[in-house]
Amino acid sequence: MGKFVIRRLAQAVMVVIAATILLFIGLFVLGDPFASSGDKVVPPETQAILREKFGMDQSLPMQYLTYLGNLVTGDLGIDLNQRRPVADMIGAALPNTARLALIAIIIDVIIGVVAGIIAAVWRYSFWDVLVTIITTLAIGVPTFVIGVWLRQTVSGVWIFPQVPRSFTELAPWYTEVLLPAVTLAIVDAAFIARLMRGSMLEVLRMDYIRTARAKGLGERTVIMKHAFRNSIIPVVTYVGISIGILLGGAIITETLFQYNGVGYLLYRSILQNNNPVIMAIVTFAVLIYVLLSMIVDILYAYLDPRIRLS
Amino acid sequence: MTTTPDPATAAQAVFVESAEHAGPGEAPEPQQQGKQKSHGQFADMWRRFRRNRLAMAGLVVVVILIVLALLQPVISPYDPYDQNLLNTLASPGGDHLMGTDALGRDLFSGLLYGLRLALLVGLLTMLGSMTLGVTLGALAGYRGKIADGLVMRTTDIFLAFPFLIGAILVVRTFGTGVFQVIIALVILGWPTAARLMRGQILALRESEYVEAARSIGASDWRIVTRHILPNAIQPVFIYSFTSIGVAVVAMASLAYLGVGVPPDTPEWGRMINMGIEQVQVAGKDFLWMFPSAAICLTTLVFAFVADGLRDSLDPKLR
Amino acid sequence: MRKQAWLRAAAGLTAAALVLTACSQKSNEGSGDSDGGDSAPSAGWPETPDVEIKDGKPGGTFRFGITEPTAIDPYNGQESEGLLVTKQLFTGLVQADPDGNIEPGVADKWEANDDCSQWTFDLKTGTKFHNGEEVNSESFKRGWERVSAKASASEVAYHLTGIEGFDEMQAGTANALSGVDASDPAKLVVKLTDPNCEWYVRTVHPVFSPVPSTAGAPATNTAYVEAPIGNGPFMMDGPWQHDVGIKLKRFEDYSIGHKAYLDSVEITITANGSQDEYAGYQNGTFDWARMPTPVLEQARATYEPQNQWITRNTNGMNYLLVMGTQKPLDDVKARKALSMAIDRDAIINGVFKGSMTPATAFVPPVFPDAFQEGLCEACTFNLDEAKKLAKEAGLAEGTELNFQFNVDAGHEEWTAAIKDQLETNLGLKVNLSGVQFPDLLNNEQQPGASGIYRAAWGADYPTPSNFLQPLLSTEAIGAGPSEPTTGDNRGRYSNEKFDQLLKDGFATKDEAERIKKFQEAEKIAIGDDQALIPLWYRTQHRLANTEKFINLRMDFSENPDLYEISIK
Repeated sequence: MGKFVIRRLAQAVMVVIAATILLFIGLFVLGDPFASSGDKVVPPETQAILREKFGMDQSLPMQYLTYLGNLVTGDLGIDLNQRRPVADMIGAALPNTARLALIAIIIDVIIGVVAGIIAAVWRYSFWDVLVTIITTLAIGVPTFVIGVWLRQTVSGVWIFPQVPRSFTELAPWYTEVLLPAVTLAIVDAAFIARLMRGSMLEVLRMDYIRTARAKGLGERTVIMKHAFRNSIIPVVTYVGISIGILLGGAIITETLFQYNGVGYLLYRSILQNNNPVIMAIVTFAVLIYVLLSMIVDILYAYLDPRIRLS
Repeated sequence: MTTTPDPATAAQAVFVESAEHAGPGEAPEPQQQGKQKSHGQFADMWRRFRRNRLAMAGLVVVVILIVLALLQPVISPYDPYDQNLLNTLASPGGDHLMGTDALGRDLFSGLLYGLRLALLVGLLTMLGSMTLGVTLGALAGYRGKIADGLVMRTTDIFLAFPFLIGAILVVRTFGTGVFQVIIALVILGWPTAARLMRGQILALRESEYVEAARSIGASDWRIVTRHILPNAIQPVFIYSFTSIGVAVVAMASLAYLGVGVPPDTPEWGRMINMGIEQVQVAGKDFLWMFPSAAICLTTLVFAFVADGLRDSLDPKLR
Repeated sequence: MRKQAWLRAAAGLTAAALVLTACSQKSNEGSGDSDGGDSAPSAGWPETPDVEIKDGKPGGTFRFGITEPTAIDPYNGQESEGLLVTKQLFTGLVQADPDGNIEPGVADKWEANDDCSQWTFDLKTGTKFHNGEEVNSESFKRGWERVSAKASASEVAYHLTGIEGFDEMQAGTANALSGVDASDPAKLVVKLTDPNCEWYVRTVHPVFSPVPSTAGAPATNTAYVEAPIGNGPFMMDGPWQHDVGIKLKRFEDYSIGHKAYLDSVEITITANGSQDEYAGYQNGTFDWARMPTPVLEQARATYEPQNQWITRNTNGMNYLLVMGTQKPLDDVKARKALSMAIDRDAIINGVFKGSMTPATAFVPPVFPDAFQEGLCEACTFNLDEAKKLAKEAGLAEGTELNFQFNVDAGHEEWTAAIKDQLETNLGLKVNLSGVQFPDLLNNEQQPGASGIYRAAWGADYPTPSNFLQPLLSTEAIGAGPSEPTTGDNRGRYSNEKFDQLLKDGFATKDEAERIKKFQEAEKIAIGDDQALIPLWYRTQHRLANTEKFINLRMDFSENPDLYEISIK
């Protein structure tokens, strides 16, 4: 087991390093962040000063090593645009996004699991078809369309705060987070519903369910006690790993609803070629993915000896 | 093991998950004796597929869409590029079934052209990522060891990337154009197909009938092409239908952001982008709603067909 | 995969807004590119009448939206949003009124020596910074040195080019501006390496602001950068809340003019720029708003009758950058043919719903003394003449023409219309491509660049020469023929006569004479040589809450003139 964990850890480190190198090269290809300011050219002398200030006069490998070194010590650098510590910028945005993601997960798990169970238990019924159509639609409609529509029709109504509103008019955080969270949750809820349906159907075919039914247990008990517990596992796995997606998914919704999070920060940084911020956020996302999938793999290996021996 | 859904590709993840449930772990009684049987297998699938009304409806619409796309040059009422600055933002009805955009171009003709483009990109992207993914996935799964490690770590790297940045970087590196978009989507799409394929191969490699083939001295090549691939390919084949829808939405999103196709191309994402600009003007919502509906319909029917195929592959799920 | 692709999609919503605002002062985007004016009758909405400025009374909070600026500290303030705030916090030597006329600021009087190589500003005494420190000549010197110091790495330091000692500061070999003499607290003496008889006009730019002794270096004193202490009519009320908002309050000891009337100003930072501002105006959140182009017609119909609408010609121009040293546009006839084949009225009416005015000159009508209506004869649509010239220039049917613009800034539609017209009218094969702004710039700079590029210009200083010198002088190419350009003359236009006229102009002390020289220069570059293809002037539209406030007008930088605004 220890060997397996070490091997898996080494793989994770390799993946992170390779991904950051790719990213670094990619950002380099993206172009020079100092070439222009507005519609005007930045004079070459000024560009030189800026490059020196941000260490971009070094060779690419040197820049990368510096970046890695700083990363290890927790220094994420200074952003190229406003010249604030990148750690501060992310620190200010992260709690908002975390809150948004959490609420979205709660919403999508509840909707998704319930819809999935209904669809599976009453297979091919009207409700199953309805769930199938709605989930397919939800996956098919681009999120920004949902967001724009929600914003146009629902914001400013009932408890939902107006968008936009003056920054001095503070709205309770839960009212502020609700609409973007719903927008963010819709697609995931559809995924979870499908996943739940498939997994539930799978479980319902198992022998022990047949046994339970044969024992004369009520259908309700069979579904909720036996089938549910086992069929929820893939959903839990998915939710764990979808946290990374949610962080990214926040880009649309945060922007639409004037919500200050990491997604919005990342999007703006891409527009501005603000490399240190892009590097930091993407590295963060890569780390989350690699960590979570490593944990899942180790867990599976722990549960199933065949994996760690193969 | 691909027990882990790939977070970078949620749509695919769910599919991988469900495909694995339907996968060859409990494969339909391995039928390896040759063409006749596998023929029968597809006939079985088709029979089961036909009974699924949603899937059949989806298939009918898919066929209609393909026909429309093929006939686009003939049935398009206007040249989708033709501007008429004297008749911009016309409401649907009259000379223009779905109205005109901000440049006076006929929206319906644009949608038809967009359909052609979407199907083309969807199909080519699917073919590209399937070819790459199946080959590498099969290699990894059957060869194991170094090949497996190499391929799997490469997929890890691609999947660890937020799709957002990955696609923008790739498209920007290759420049503007439909072909470039396809390349970008293939580069980002193959890892999922590869993982799916590898999972199938791993499961089949240890199956009894492959053992049997091996024991009678069949070559690796023969085992892979004759015994493993035909069985392993089915879930991948089904997945490919899903991936068409994924590619359609992906291209639309790229275009929506002004990345990918040339800016004046009548492409659904671009049309939505231009329509959204009018969102604060009363009565102009049709500009983004029609192309949005087109994207929804297309992804919807392909998903129905994929679902139906999956169900028909595994009779036990019935 | 799908989902994340959508992220990009939705994110695109803001792209326009972000790019828009990022260059709204320097380019032409601010409120959705609305350009027009009152000079040509064919298209365009008339300017709304000037408001009569009345005495106000203290009180009230004025609210509006901007997008997140780069900086509000004068050392690096660059886009319209940041400069808006900086201008409230700081008062410079001189100021520009809404028409661009120069008025006294901290300086009462200013004059140049005979050859305009030395300028002397007499300063008001007893004026204060927000922290009570007195403003004197040393405060200005300190501010300018803070900007030009290499360690500050200011992106706007180039405005100080031409001051003696600036180059040494940028090189890091000096720590004082040798050309700025502050030995007399009430007198600021500036020596120039490049004599310039209109140099004082430059100092309206906030980069020339004075700073108090507590300002320190930008890299170390970040508290100051986040909440600058200035000498302007408003002061910070708490530090800048990034991506959230900026709150200003009246500076009670302001003595350069009357005190501001408003108690406070609430500037909300929005994600989607003009779209959010318009929505915010409609729902009562904001008292002032820019608007995206598509809503202009509808908004005007609603708000003009209520007297809440402002239209003004502003300091800017939309044009096509022409690569006139490369085929197929290396012949002046080809350039004129192109210009004549564009039906500006049709585009303005079709795409912009009439909200702009076609250009017939390059220096816009916002400079009434310098404006020469009809100077660009080829700016009038003339199909027969266009075809004839095209033929003479060898611009045959099927000739390929490269046409690039920057995406996500609202240029998709009108560029497509121009492509269509050039293809229909001249039979050209136009390769239209949209790229990100930095890429556009990079492509324009390359020695082999050919064709036409979408471009816009807003002057940094209220003088017509700022439309000519940086864009068309040989000096502003900044590179040899085989190197990428480094200046803003990316079309590589070069004409000795033009250069000489500009030079003469800068050396002429009499303003009327000076402007005459600039006019002659413009005539050569645009009228004769068609070095650039003017399209439409920059006109801006705003919504303003006249129900609650008086003295609502647009300042020279297209922002609300907060200093004069008062409750009713």
